[in-house]
Amino acid sequence: MINEILNSITFIYPELAVSIFLLIIVLVDLVFHKDKKYIPYISLAGLVITGILVLNQIGITHFAFVPQLSAVKKYGMMTIDPFGSYFKLLVVVTSILIIFFTIASEEVIDLKERLGEFHALIYGMILGMLVMISASDLILIYLSLELLSLSSYVLAGFLKLRERSSEASLKYVIYGSVSSGLMLFGISIIYGLTGSTNLYVINSLIQGPQINLFTLSFSSILMFVGIGYKISAAPFHFWTPDVYEGAPISITAYLSVASKAAGFALLIRFIQTGFTSFISEDGYWTLIAVFDWQALLIAISILTMTLGNFSALWQDNLKRMLAYSSIAHAGYILLGIAVLSNQGLIAVLIYFFVYMLMNIGAFYVVMLISNKTGSENIDDYDGLGAKAPFLGVALAIFLISLTGLPPTAGFIAKLYLFIALIDANMIVVAIIALLNTVVSLYYYVRVLKHMYLTKSEREQENITPSIGSLVYLLVLLIPILFFGIYFTPIVEFARSCVSLLGI
Amino acid sequence: MLTEFGKIFIFLLLAIGFVGIALFAAKLIRPHRPTKEKLLIYECGENVEGSPWVKFNIRFYVVALIFLIFDVEVVLLFPWALTYQEFGFYGFLVGVIFLLILGLGMAYEWRKGDLNWDRTKPNIPELSKILTNKNVSNVKIDEQIKES
Repeated sequence: MINEILNSITFIYPELAVSIFLLIIVLVDLVFHKDKKYIPYISLAGLVITGILVLNQIGITHFAFVPQLSAVKKYGMMTIDPFGSYFKLLVVVTSILIIFFTIASEEVIDLKERLGEFHALIYGMILGMLVMISASDLILIYLSLELLSLSSYVLAGFLKLRERSSEASLKYVIYGSVSSGLMLFGISIIYGLTGSTNLYVINSLIQGPQINLFTLSFSSILMFVGIGYKISAAPFHFWTPDVYEGAPISITAYLSVASKAAGFALLIRFIQTGFTSFISEDGYWTLIAVFDWQALLIAISILTMTLGNFSALWQDNLKRMLAYSSIAHAGYILLGIAVLSNQGLIAVLIYFFVYMLMNIGAFYVVMLISNKTGSENIDDYDGLGAKAPFLGVALAIFLISLTGLPPTAGFIAKLYLFIALIDANMIVVAIIALLNTVVSLYYYVRVLKHMYLTKSEREQENITPSIGSLVYLLVLLIPILFFGIYFTPIVEFARSCVSLLGI
Repeated sequence: MLTEFGKIFIFLLLAIGFVGIALFAAKLIRPHRPTKEKLLIYECGENVEGSPWVKFNIRFYVVALIFLIFDVEVVLLFPWALTYQEFGFYGFLVGVIFLLILGLGMAYEWRKGDLNWDRTKPNIPELSKILTNKNVSNVKIDEQIKES
């Protein structure tokens, strides 16, 4: 037993590094409590080390923490596989981008005293996400989900003096506790049906004839509620606009990319290891005929993107508009899973990489402008194209990419998604998604209209971003334009990372 | 036929039915003489005064939270203390790391001043300060002294 645990430690180096740096940040915060300006750099260093450790893991396929109680075949509590490594890398890169984000954000600079806690909580989120991505045991899934949620509840309300921030935090806690309670209920029913919490064991047990189909479907839906809340899928999305609007903008960007990515990784792993009987030569998954995941996912994703896109049309606050747009994007990505094939999975991986670049970029520009004007209202963007030429062009490119128009990487992401849909003969769904994209064009372009075509009524000073912000935006812009034209590298990388630890 | 859960369901039904029937039967048999005293919270005690919704000081919650952390620590240490010898040095090390992390939490609370029971400073009125404020009439001075 002890040997198994010691062996498994070699597979969780990234998680260990995150935990150790979490403690280091708390220690540094305590020892040098007068001077906190080094803390962001410490957390950056920790993330770079974690990133290197994750890179070393790419290509490894292995079980960790195998309980020796099971006699026949040994399945672990955690699985290390290329799919998980891809998402871990995505989470780490997002975290690095967000740390740079916080260095420039006035809201976070004003924290001063509480900067140590801020970074420690971000590390708590990262730890939760990394464990969640590779967890293949229901208990571990729940534990990591809670770790992620609890840290993000506090971070959402971190600006204590701002009323909206506290409101966001409270709403987040209430919705979160209800949905995680439902998920726990689902877990308990699954455990009651199969007598195991391991996804692989559950997979082999539900193939037997004596399973009660109704109960299993019910518990699957309950599990989906918990995950759907994390990815803000449609009937469980009500917290999203309020939380995204109220939270500090760096945390909003983080929630909209990283925690969503972790939620999707969990959903894919849950469906693939828990419910797939075999994967055919051309990459299509055949599910065990106990629950129609495809119908559920298609229905939810159509609902999600339609609701997200149509609600975004009426938003005047940019943060709120981006919140609804992130709901809509969750809908598109869910379609990639609903295809139930490796082709769809590749599309999801590509989509997330591109989504990370363009969404963080859009939030960064919004943050820079609100640093100066103190508002995220769309009327304050009037005439911005002339006053802040670089920021205007950057935001324009990010928004065009979010719409999915060529020559940006957003187009490639949507292209692969539609290829996967059409390959699976889901033409009607593809057309609905396409029409949704057209709707989304309106509210993205509306921002551009305000920036370039509307004259501002009051005088504003010019906004010139600092050199650091310029470099940051270029780091996000260049890949978006580059991968929009030459996209083979990310496609190849996604293709190599598509395999989950087999069944 | 009946699953184990089905038996529990029957038990539940019986339990609910028993309560209902007992209450209903009591209602039929018992005498009915309502008085005002019977509606009081403590029928044979003192009269109730004021609302039970008293505001507690927020500091009690901090103490409660700290207590909770160390309570959980003890609960987790008991099983460890029973079995760590089987795992040799590593087993011991695990407990030490656990305690170190908790110790860090304790140090954190200490440093951040959550353990200090800081009292609100009593606002003692100074005559000289009140008198220098010339706009204040004598009545208001009296009020200020009363308030503070």
